[in-house]
Amino acid sequence: MTNHWIDLRNADCIMIIGSNAAENHPISFKWVTEAMDKGAKLISVDPRFTRTSSKADIYAPMRSGTDIAFIGGMINYILNDMENNPGNYNMEYVTQYTNAACIVNPNFKFTDGLFGEVENGKYNTASKGTWKYANTATPATDTTLKDPDCVFQLMKKHYSRYDADTVCDITGTPKDVYLEVCQTYAASGRTGKAGTIMYAMGTTQHTYGTQNVRSYAVLQLLLGNMGVAGGGINALRGTSNVQGSTDMCLLAHILPGYLNVPMEGDTDLDTYILRTGKHAGATITPQGLAGDVSSNWWGNSRKYVVSLLKAWYGDAATADNDFGFHNLPKCDPSVNYTHIGMIEAMGRGIVKGLWVWGQNPASGGPNSNGARTALGNLDWLVTADIWMTETSEFWKRPGVDPADIGTEVFVLPAACSYEKEGSISNSGRWAQWRYKAVEPLGDAMADLEIMSILMSKIQELYQADASAPGRQAIIDLEWDYGHVTADMIAREINGYDLTTGKLAVSFGALKDDGTTSSGNWLYCNMYTEEDGNKAARRNPADMHPGKIGLHSEWSWCWPLNRRIIYNRASVDLDGNPWDSEHPVILDYDSVTKWKGDIPDGGWAPINQAAEGAKYLPFIMKPEGVARLWGYGRTDGPLPEVYEPWESPLDRNLMSDAKNNPCAFVGTYMNDRGTPERFPYVGTTYRCSEHWQTGVMTRSLPWLVELMPDMYVEIGEDLAVEKGISNGDTIIVSSARGEIQAVAMVTRRLQPLQVDGKAIHHVGVLNHWGYSGMATGDSANILTPHVGDANTTIPEFKTFLCNVRRA
Amino acid sequence: MIINKRSIPVGTIILTVVVLLGLVAMILRYVYGLGATTNMSDGRAWGLWISFDLYCGVALAAGGFTLAGIVYIFGREKYHAVARPAILTAFLGYTLVILALLVDLGQPWYIWRFLFNWNIHSPLFEVSLCVMLYTIVLALEFSPAVFERLSSLDYPLIRRFNWRIPLRVIRSIQIPLVIAGIVLSTLHQSSLGSMLLMMPETLHPLWYTPILPILFLFSAIAVGPAMVMFESALSSRVFGHKLSIDVMSGLGKATAYVLGLYLLLKIVDLLARGDLALVATAYPHNLLWWGEIIIGVILPIIFFSMSSIRRNRTMLFWSAVLVVLGLVFNRFNVSMLALEIRPGFTYVPHWMEFAISAALVADAMLVIFLAHRLLPMHEEEAAVESG
Amino acid sequence: MSKGVLYDANKCIGCRACQVACKQWNEMPAETTTNTGSCENPPKVSAYTLTKIRFNELEHDGKFHWVFTKIQCMHCEHPACAEACLVGAFQKTPEGAVVYDDNKCIGCRYCMVACPFGIPCYQWDDPMPWVRKCSFCADRQSAGLKPACVTTCPTGALKYGERDDLIDEAHQRIAANRDKYVDHVYGEHEVGGTSWLYLSPVPFEKLGMPVVGQEAVTVNVERAMGAVPPVLVGVAAIMSGVYWLVKRRQQPGGEGAPNDKEQVEVPK
Ligand SMILES: Nc1nc2c(c(=O)[nH]1)N[C@H]1C(S)=C(S)[C@@H](COP(=O)(O)OP(=O)(O)OC[C@H]3O[C@@H](n4cnc5c(=O)[nH]c(N)nc54)[C@H](O)[C@@H]3O)O[C@H]1N2
Ligand SMILES: Nc1nc2c(c(=O)[nH]1)N[C@H]1C(S)=C(S)[C@@H](COP(=O)(O)OP(=O)(O)OC[C@H]3O[C@@H](n4cnc5c(=O)[nH]c(N)nc54)[C@H](O)[C@@H]3O)O[C@H]1N2
Ligand code: SF4
Ligand code: SF4
Ligand code: SF4
Ligand code: SF4
Ligand code: SF4
Ligand SMILES: [Mo]
Repeated sequence: MTNHWIDLRNADCIMIIGSNAAENHPISFKWVTEAMDKGAKLISVDPRFTRTSSKADIYAPMRSGTDIAFIGGMINYILNDMENNPGNYNMEYVTQYTNAACIVNPNFKFTDGLFGEVENGKYNTASKGTWKYANTATPATDTTLKDPDCVFQLMKKHYSRYDADTVCDITGTPKDVYLEVCQTYAASGRTGKAGTIMYAMGTTQHTYGTQNVRSYAVLQLLLGNMGVAGGGINALRGTSNVQGSTDMCLLAHILPGYLNVPMEGDTDLDTYILRTGKHAGATITPQGLAGDVSSNWWGNSRKYVVSLLKAWYGDAATADNDFGFHNLPKCDPSVNYTHIGMIEAMGRGIVKGLWVWGQNPASGGPNSNGARTALGNLDWLVTADIWMTETSEFWKRPGVDPADIGTEVFVLPAACSYEKEGSISNSGRWAQWRYKAVEPLGDAMADLEIMSILMSKIQELYQADASAPGRQAIIDLEWDYGHVTADMIAREINGYDLTTGKLAVSFGALKDDGTTSSGNWLYCNMYTEEDGNKAARRNPADMHPGKIGLHSEWSWCWPLNRRIIYNRASVDLDGNPWDSEHPVILDYDSVTKWKGDIPDGGWAPINQAAEGAKYLPFIMKPEGVARLWGYGRTDGPLPEVYEPWESPLDRNLMSDAKNNPCAFVGTYMNDRGTPERFPYVGTTYRCSEHWQTGVMTRSLPWLVELMPDMYVEIGEDLAVEKGISNGDTIIVSSARGEIQAVAMVTRRLQPLQVDGKAIHHVGVLNHWGYSGMATGDSANILTPHVGDANTTIPEFKTFLCNVRRA
Repeated sequence: MIINKRSIPVGTIILTVVVLLGLVAMILRYVYGLGATTNMSDGRAWGLWISFDLYCGVALAAGGFTLAGIVYIFGREKYHAVARPAILTAFLGYTLVILALLVDLGQPWYIWRFLFNWNIHSPLFEVSLCVMLYTIVLALEFSPAVFERLSSLDYPLIRRFNWRIPLRVIRSIQIPLVIAGIVLSTLHQSSLGSMLLMMPETLHPLWYTPILPILFLFSAIAVGPAMVMFESALSSRVFGHKLSIDVMSGLGKATAYVLGLYLLLKIVDLLARGDLALVATAYPHNLLWWGEIIIGVILPIIFFSMSSIRRNRTMLFWSAVLVVLGLVFNRFNVSMLALEIRPGFTYVPHWMEFAISAALVADAMLVIFLAHRLLPMHEEEAAVESG
Repeated sequence: MSKGVLYDANKCIGCRACQVACKQWNEMPAETTTNTGSCENPPKVSAYTLTKIRFNELEHDGKFHWVFTKIQCMHCEHPACAEACLVGAFQKTPEGAVVYDDNKCIGCRYCMVACPFGIPCYQWDDPMPWVRKCSFCADRQSAGLKPACVTTCPTGALKYGERDDLIDEAHQRIAANRDKYVDHVYGEHEVGGTSWLYLSPVPFEKLGMPVVGQEAVTVNVERAMGAVPPVLVGVAAIMSGVYWLVKRRQQPGGEGAPNDKEQVEVPK
């Protein structure tokens, strides 16, 4: 979230798209409801009429997988409306705070759905070069937005193809409803109004999931909704502390604090920093804007990397040895290290052992039949979990003879959240400290303790074996916790001034000379000598002068307790809030500086600052302005419509490029279905009553009582066509497998008119498996091993399937 | 005493079997609870037992107070002959009601609680208290038959006691007892109707009326004599003790008058409430309504007012049967069929519910048989025998 | 002043946290359920499920609606259950809750039959069964806490407060948003008023809420029960009078007189 949960209440319009917030983030509706009480409009865009839709002023159905068309049409509507009614929009924001005015390389070409030439699922370097600005260091701008090569005009041209008729023909949304959505949401573009987008997995779990999110960002930037109260693009994060886990690098492509992972070829620290582009030299300063300097915050990354290496290797990290950079593993660029890539490698026998820590890949990842088979290829498997899961019991799953499986399985009982202390970072980036309520049952241990014991043992073993490969990397690690506590780790994450031994005050104080350490620069400032552990703060008062619900002394939030990021875009060039009712930062004066939220850089307002010190508001971008034109993605600078890997259509209605050319397509047990055999659009999702793979909820009687059986939602028309009555047992099949479920026949799923034909959705719940108290078939038996071009997040949300009565 | 010897074994055996079957069901009910042994549910919390054993049972036992009233208060000595059997039937009826309640109550072992926690606003409280007291009254009213018999027995142990003393005591308070019986009956017969006054939203408007208690009283008064006719006819067949046609037709005529009044009340009430049209429009409920009215009211009025029928024992008997059936129909309507069931529920009594109800009735019949065989059922007889 | 809860179906997201919170507070076991093609479960309130959310898919004003409805005891101002119970096991407290006492109940189930909302339920599966229904968390209230369901509700669809204030607020919500609410505060007048109040975007009968009158269901019973003492005295007096009259008339004429009269009639 760029903003935070409570801030939803400041919105004038809320669009929930790609999320079913009422069911999956019920508490968000406390704030959505408050906003609505004050007159905010709620729009729900979803293939299904959900509990979220039930509360919406406007419900717009759409075909799963067509967000880019849906949003692209809105962008088109707004770009046209901007020219006709500029007074309805915050044009100063668009020209001064985004790259709308920047002039792009004139060689840029967009032909028939492609942004250049693709080789082996990647745009070639030459093509990618054309996506950049004409002048890559000091791009020229045209603040009249008339130059045909400026971003604004390129977007106009690109999205002119997204007229409402074409869009509705792709998405299946009734045109009148669609236009109502455009009109209603565009109204949040007026200066002083705010619109927010709440999104989650409906958006991201596609082969173009990143571009889906980008399309929301473009929309929000055009409407001046970033950085303001009640605005933002708000990813409703998922599993408890998933925000914290990504902050702490639980993804294959990052180190803590979103630092890049080193790759083969990063022979030393400097090479690595240069390659990632996160260095001062990478600063881009647009010419001709009121702001004249970009802070390019990532230019500091070397300090953060060095402090991280100091935290990890301690005294073994010195300036002479590149602070132990050589100890870090380097990734092979040709290998996909994500979940799907890992399962494929297991399937091929490349990966031989697996630690599964609080996860359930046997039914959580896509293509469960593949994943379960792949688990059988392992020599050993360790699960650390609070329950027995489909993964820890994969070897005795139905239809399998345990004798045929050679994998040795170890189960480590873990303490659950109430049985241990630590922090949980929520979607709003708030790190909230929790205390232990009860002692763990039996042999269960906090994950941290398990890890610590394990690591000490591993170091011991490496210490003893001089010939062990990579020995130095292990024994160099500073691992001296003794009995580890969450408090110790919190301090280490915050970091120290190693010269004084005191906690570091903020990432501004981190250095790249080895005199500071920080386990995660983003969290530096959470734990200070002065205030102690700020994540543990529990002051409910709202100290913000505008009472916008910041509650800044409740817990702590990264970065630097800044509750709304990019908040320097919430004020005009003179420093006056666009929205005087809901100011985020305000009342700058040169002595007392800003009031309100922690600003994104405490510099003076652009018009008050001296020449050469007029700081642009989007400090994390090298150009200091936000990117409507996103040239850094692998699959093109603008979101463009593609069909899902498995599409009910035989063509892309926009171009000849049917699928995202850069999507990751797995090859292990991954058959592809055709609309002839599998005519319906399958989509998978959650319900309020269960959690994820169900391990945590299907054994809780009160929750099982609410949702006792695996079910599938289908529309009435499809049910009639297939002779299915409500409550019947049905079979849903895809090219990967088939599952059995109870049919829930409902008017909440309606056939959509797409390209002249009726498209039916089949909605599959994602919570069942063979372990635990209430059992049923897993949705992921149906889903394919394909992933997003940028992140490889699996395409859980759209695939082809068929249904029949059991 | 005249006993039809042939009927003893067959009838008794059948009755005994029914009683034993019911006993088994009853044991199961106590061990496994109401859920396992009945089809009652949250939607239909009162089932066959309340409708039949309580609602019909109490009304059908109304013969006790009506006949006692006619004979002892209104001095119609002609009906003396049926008074004692009527009182016995009533006594047995009420005993069965109590037994049925002990089966039906979820916590029968706590039944005494109502004596210590009075909710005087509850019609059910009033019914309970009256039923308890009236059962005692009936026992006392009937006790002379027992004392008479005892005093005539020639067993040394029994002879040691002078049974004439209690007999005399009871006889001396007979009139207050009868009056108490009438008061208590008036109260609880009507209060059974008051109980349903709580259900204006769920009892169908064809039946729901503020005068339900009065209608209940009248229908009970009407069915009392009819029940006596019905029983006497039966017992006469078994025991050969024929009632005089004169008494029968007198009872029939009285019934007709009361039923007439009852019908009038019902119609005027529907008119007054503006709901008369419902008898034509409220399908299917109107069928139930017409059913009970035609069977239990209109036909009997017609029959009982025809002198030819009044002289015909068989016809009198069948007319009385109609009144009884009509009343049963009515009580089932108000306490079950026309009372909305909660949405999503259905109710068909479980066989054990039938078994227990049947066993209770069979039980009563066995006792009546026994009484007829062992006790002086008519004061004259007793006088003769003991004299 | 007595307490109440305002349930606003426009704010309810059907998350059923209230359902679980109620079970948790009241330490109720889970029921064994099956999915019969509906999100709704358990299918009905029961002795082990004191509250539940109903899911209604319906058409209103030409628009499709999915409206949730919380079902629990309404805590009537004139509770039929309390009036009905012969042992007074149900009591309406001055604070608004209608509470039940195991130590009085004998299990006659008149309360269940009497309730116009079909609320009290029975432990049918238990050989020693009690009645169960929502207690308005009277135990929590007396400790200064809100009812468990209210505390848990994430959206504010349940609001606890003085009944009178809630009625005012309910009308304000309607007035502020005429096209989102039907102009009816269910429970304000129903059966003489209830402590729990409802707002809805569609007419209440479409939510399966019983269509009930404004008069307390106990009115006629009260009237009838008020007649008991006079009837008692009256009937006793009349019967004594009749007896006395008849006796006096029979004295000279002897036993046969009235019989003769009837015998004359019969042969007609
Ligand atoms: N009760 C509960 N809450 C949860 C979870 C849970 O398991 N149970 N899981 C947590 C986790 S880890 C996560 S990540 C979040 C996920 O939160 P959500 O993203 O809200 O979860 P989903 O239910 O997977 O999907 C949301 C909606 O996307 C819709 N959808 C399908 N295809 C498309 C599409 O192409 N475009 C758009 N716009 N919408 C589409 C689906 O119909 C569905 O209603 O929830 C979190 N909260
Ligand atoms: N078809 C389909 N598949 C999906 C999705 C979808 O929308 N559709 N969504 C995807 C998403 S967004 C997600 S996040 C994944 C989730 O996928 P998983 O993470 O595999 O699923 P969970 O069931 O959440 O598994 C979490 C495990 O952690 C255990 N656990 C809980 N607390 C602790 C603890 O404190 N310590 C330890 N050691 N273990 C603990 C739980 O018992 C459980 O077994 O599923 C993905 N899969
Ligand atoms: S995290 Fe827990 S409390 Fe918060 S919305 Fe999700 S389920 Fe509710
Ligand atoms: S709703 Fe029913 S149970 Fe609740 S107080 Fe009213 S009558 Fe009693
Ligand atoms: S079941 Fe219990 S609470 Fe209900 S009326 Fe009977 S005695 Fe009272
Ligand atoms: S008030 Fe208490 S008992 Fe009643 S529904 Fe709410 S939680 Fe359950
Ligand atoms: S907790 Fe609140 S929002 Fe959720 S179902 Fe209950 S009343 Fe509705
Ligand atoms: Mo997630």
